[in-house]
Amino acid sequence: MGFVRGRCWFGWVAAIVLLGAAVPAFGLPAFARKYNLRCSDCHEAWPKLNNFGQTFKDNGYQLMTGRDAPIYQQISYFPIAFRITPVWHRESSNRVAVDIIPGDAAGGQTESRVTTNAFNISGIDIWTVGTLYKNISFDVEPDFGNTGGIQLLSYFIRFDNLLDSRWLNLKVGKFELDTLISEDRELTLSDTGGFYRNYHFVPAGDRTNFGLGDHQLGAELLGHSRNDYTRYSISVLNSTDGQPDTPTSSYDVYTDFTQGFEVPKLGLQRVGLYGYVGERPTFFQTNNGAPIQGTGMGNRSFSRTGVYGLWYLGKFDLSTFYLHGQDNVFLGNGVQANQPFNLPAGAAGPTWNGGFVEAHYTYNPQLILFGRYETVQMSRQANPLTQRDLGDLKVWTVGYRWYPIMSSRAGLAWHQEYAIARSVGTAPLTGRDEVSSSFLTGFDFDF
Amino acid sequence: MKRHSVTVFALLLVSLTMLCAAGRPGPLPSPGGASVTGVVKFKGTAAKPTRIDMSADPYCAQAHPSGATTEELLTDTNGGLENVVVFVSDGLGTATFPVPDEPAVMEQKGCQYKPHVLAMRAGQKLNVVNSDATTHNIHPMPNNNREWNVSQPKGVPVEQVFAREEVAISVKCNIHPWMRSYIAVLKHPYFAVTGKDGRFELKDLPPGTYTLQAWHEKLGTKIQKITVAEGAPPTVEFTFQ
Amino acid sequence: MTKVRRIAQALLVFYSLFSSAQESKIGGLTGNAKAGKALYRRYCITCHGVHGDGAGENAPHLDPKPRDFTRATFKCRSTPSGSLPTDSDLYNTISRGIYNTNMPSWEPLTRQQRADLVAYVKTFSTRFHEEPPVPPVPIPPEPSTSADSVKRGADLFQSLNCWSCHGKEGRGNGPSALTLTDSKGYPILPFDFSKGPHFKCGETARDLFKDLSTGLDGTPMPSFADALKPEQIWDVVHYIQTLREDNGGFFHRAKSELKVQ
Repeated sequence: MGFVRGRCWFGWVAAIVLLGAAVPAFGLPAFARKYNLRCSDCHEAWPKLNNFGQTFKDNGYQLMTGRDAPIYQQISYFPIAFRITPVWHRESSNRVAVDIIPGDAAGGQTESRVTTNAFNISGIDIWTVGTLYKNISFDVEPDFGNTGGIQLLSYFIRFDNLLDSRWLNLKVGKFELDTLISEDRELTLSDTGGFYRNYHFVPAGDRTNFGLGDHQLGAELLGHSRNDYTRYSISVLNSTDGQPDTPTSSYDVYTDFTQGFEVPKLGLQRVGLYGYVGERPTFFQTNNGAPIQGTGMGNRSFSRTGVYGLWYLGKFDLSTFYLHGQDNVFLGNGVQANQPFNLPAGAAGPTWNGGFVEAHYTYNPQLILFGRYETVQMSRQANPLTQRDLGDLKVWTVGYRWYPIMSSRAGLAWHQEYAIARSVGTAPLTGRDEVSSSFLTGFDFDF
Repeated sequence: MKRHSVTVFALLLVSLTMLCAAGRPGPLPSPGGASVTGVVKFKGTAAKPTRIDMSADPYCAQAHPSGATTEELLTDTNGGLENVVVFVSDGLGTATFPVPDEPAVMEQKGCQYKPHVLAMRAGQKLNVVNSDATTHNIHPMPNNNREWNVSQPKGVPVEQVFAREEVAISVKCNIHPWMRSYIAVLKHPYFAVTGKDGRFELKDLPPGTYTLQAWHEKLGTKIQKITVAEGAPPTVEFTFQ
Repeated sequence: MTKVRRIAQALLVFYSLFSSAQESKIGGLTGNAKAGKALYRRYCITCHGVHGDGAGENAPHLDPKPRDFTRATFKCRSTPSGSLPTDSDLYNTISRGIYNTNMPSWEPLTRQQRADLVAYVKTFSTRFHEEPPVPPVPIPPEPSTSADSVKRGADLFQSLNCWSCHGKEGRGNGPSALTLTDSKGYPILPFDFSKGPHFKCGETARDLFKDLSTGLDGTPMPSFADALKPEQIWDVVHYIQTLREDNGGFFHRAKSELKVQ
């Protein structure tokens, strides 16, 4: 994927995201079957994890009761789960470039509102994850997209409790970056509200191929305290945004540290600190003009750093997230590092700040209401001539999930959601604000 | 252990009735009351007691050089049924009876319980005695009382109390799995356990109408109504099959 | 449980919910049964059942079976055999979990949540209202282990017939082992001491002392409080610790006793 110039970046990002880079992980009835626990034991409302479930995950998908190894399971048990979301949805965007005369490519274009709706199925997610042996766990998640392709979203092996210490665990493969606000486990499904913008945002004209929410390829060292209140993670990752079969020209580093503390009468609060520092090549060695993979040159760096928190106030809880993003001037302008003369006058590395507040009300384990406000604000554009707030985003999402069945064998949710997003200056022809919205209603089931 | 849910339910219903009935006067125990005597018989051919294998503990094995046998169903040549608890289950109203000071005694001897069936009072002390030179553990398994389990080497005294009526609590020793006895706990003094000949006597029962129950560990419960009149002590016969 | 007793219990629970009395006290924490009820419905109901009788939807698949709270008979206590556990005993069991069973460690729940669960669990049996609290068994300080102490413990292991269930080498394969049933009639196996320090009610020497003193009610494991003097119980503890074959890993050390945190 080459760099993208101009104002169509939003569409590119959206397309890539929707093609499955962030298809969620989900609640695992396979675990419920293995351990005879209900979904609600580990999930506040699946797929969102509660602290008990997060601890289970951090232990390498083990309850540490001495019966985690597969030999203790019934022989017919297999650690596989499916998730399918058949829904009806309606999408609307106010400024889509359309031909003035339908069918006439030469007749000029204008911006028009386009509204579509359909029944849809997001694909079939199959996930197999669990223990190969005591303290050795694994994950394979193929995604069967609507378009018929299969890709492997994640796959890794984990060696847990090395040297008999829960502070030392090693994960190798392709995996989600460690965080307590996991995009894989978010509660939203719609095209507009179903992903965290901050986990994918790249400014206009920026060629950096990276998203915090994309699964990355590498190795991770992670650890946690017994009650999982203190956690840390350090990863070394390919500088390829997780593309498989792609040699890398450098390595990125990601680190995440979280701490929980109890507040009397309110509950458990958790705060996290994270940072991703990486590089991307700005050009390659070529053969007859064609780039040779893995020979990236002119590497320039970028970073995503910030804090997040999970605040529990009885049945009501908030997830707050802040991000500061910074890309190198060459990455931000899409210019090869060996051609600085191509930089526009006064070019700078783009920087931006973003965040979201997501609120949940868990009426009971079978009903959760959610709402999110998310924003991204550019503080400096790569090109000084660019409108300062080009690409700024505001997204509102609201909805609820009702789980009529909550057992230890399977899950079913009835999901309703509405989301609306405003993107500043990204209308394709006029440069005005784009507003798009989604309405989604349907089922989400998990076996 | 066989569950006598009907018996327990009946007992609890009686207890609840006694609790809830607003001060219905019951007959006070009077020394001038009559004795109810009787016999419990077994009709049919009783299975012969089987040999117990005590080889797991050499001490127990050598205490029975000619072998020990099970005690689940013991009859004499006249069909008298041993170890049946006969007791009044209804008719005493809301009367309460003082608990005797002397303890009831359950002894472990020759790696068997003596007596095999013990009847005692709720609130009465139970002394458990270990006369064997091997350690037992005494483990009653009640449904209506607290469950406890105590290890008892020779000579170490164990004293406990059952607070509530229950017919009957099964008792076992986990170390010697063949050991089994039963303790019937009653709220009043009108009970007896039949001897080898199946005979029993309930002393000093005041005149009135009563329901009698006969409980056996394997054969269940039989119920009869009797009337005690001055000068006319009834005789009762229960027959199990 | 009979219908009559269930009605009586329901009335008592009804009364207690309207009184302030459904509480637990663990250290400085006060747990509340009403809050515990919501937590129980999320975390516990699938095994322990709506009525707390151990008959949850998953119970048929579990071995050992989940605890029946209506009987108020608990394995892991600090009180004499036949007595109710203290609130701290229940709190510690919830926090620690029970190794080699389906009961996980609920330490990821906050201390307050665990205290609330203790308060709610107590509402399943009227015994917590009827019986006065019993003080825990005293646990004197542990004398240091020695070859003599281990020898005395080995002799006691023999004379008290521990081997008849636990086996001569403590592997849980004694002559009576296969005859054992718990108080509900389900088969149960004695602990295999060679397998490491994960005893049912804690891992430390102090926990072992407690197990021997209080017995594990509801199981064949009796209390030795009448049979042994405290220093003799320590001797047995020291002997049992030598039966361990698996050191639990290169860096393993017995976790410190779960203090109320």
